[in-house]
Amino acid sequence: MSRKFQTWVAQYQDQAWTLARYLLKDPAEAEDACQEAFVKLWRNQDKIDPERIRPWLMKVTRNLCLDRLRRRHPTEEWEDWQQPADDSGTIPGPMQGLQTRELGEWLKHSINGLTEPYRSLVVLRDVQQHSYEEVANALELSLTQVKVYLHRARKQLREQLAEVRP
Amino acid sequence: MTDKRDNGSDTLSGADERYERQLDALFAQLGVEQAPASLTRRLQRIPLEEGERRPWWRSVWPASLSGAWPRWVLAPALAVALLAVGLMMALPQQPSQEDVMQARQDLALAFRYIDKAGLITGQEIQSVLGGELRHTVKGNLSKHIPFTEQSHEEENS
Repeated sequence: MSRKFQTWVAQYQDQAWTLARYLLKDPAEAEDACQEAFVKLWRNQDKIDPERIRPWLMKVTRNLCLDRLRRRHPTEEWEDWQQPADDSGTIPGPMQGLQTRELGEWLKHSINGLTEPYRSLVVLRDVQQHSYEEVANALELSLTQVKVYLHRARKQLREQLAEVRP
Repeated sequence: MTDKRDNGSDTLSGADERYERQLDALFAQLGVEQAPASLTRRLQRIPLEEGERRPWWRSVWPASLSGAWPRWVLAPALAVALLAVGLMMALPQQPSQEDVMQARQDLALAFRYIDKAGLITGQEIQSVLGGELRHTVKGNLSKHIPFTEQSHEEENS
């Protein structure tokens, strides 16, 4: 049982971590959320279909992150999600000729600026390359909703990309 | 990645196509972040930490039985058991009038048997040991047993 769990840790910890990092932004909190999710996995491993461990884990990780966000800033955080990524500090502003590395940073911040469930959708589908079915499962959405929401998220990102790379 | 546009209601212009390709390239570049070593250590400790907190019955309960019954069987069985207990609790605790009458009759009969048994025992004692010993039931035993009286006198002298 423990060996199977260690395999899941090896296979999915990076994905859970990436999702938690995008959602929470704070590394310490992201670690806590991931640990909590894996503890739940350990406790419920007998009840989960082995074929659906990954979407189950992503769903639990996301829910734990959202719970933390609600507790952290009951209103501000949700309002903050409505705002596009700010362009202060290290975030590059609208400008031409961004380098690829800078564009990567820009994209991370743009993803962070998306509202839910768009942000989770983009992380799970575009960053982590999960299947549509898995994403739908993890976010408890229909397949159609996943595709429609993803299209909207991509459109937002496209428009922002057009601003920095006209 | 190409199927991301399959559900869009609006068709993509040439520029949008170009941005889509750029986004795909950037997403590919982002990839999945590697979890820090501290997290890996924390996750690997979970079985050890959680194993210590397993309920005591999990160690006693045979592992082969834990998955023997599907939940759709166990859940109704539990519900029926709870219902039965609930019904038993809901039933009136006071005995019915009939039960009381029956109990009184049983008790009267039992006492009659005891009386009869006492009478027979008394007659038996009288017939075997004589009338004197029969009184020992009511009085001090030593008064009615001659050798006990003698023993007392010997001790006092």
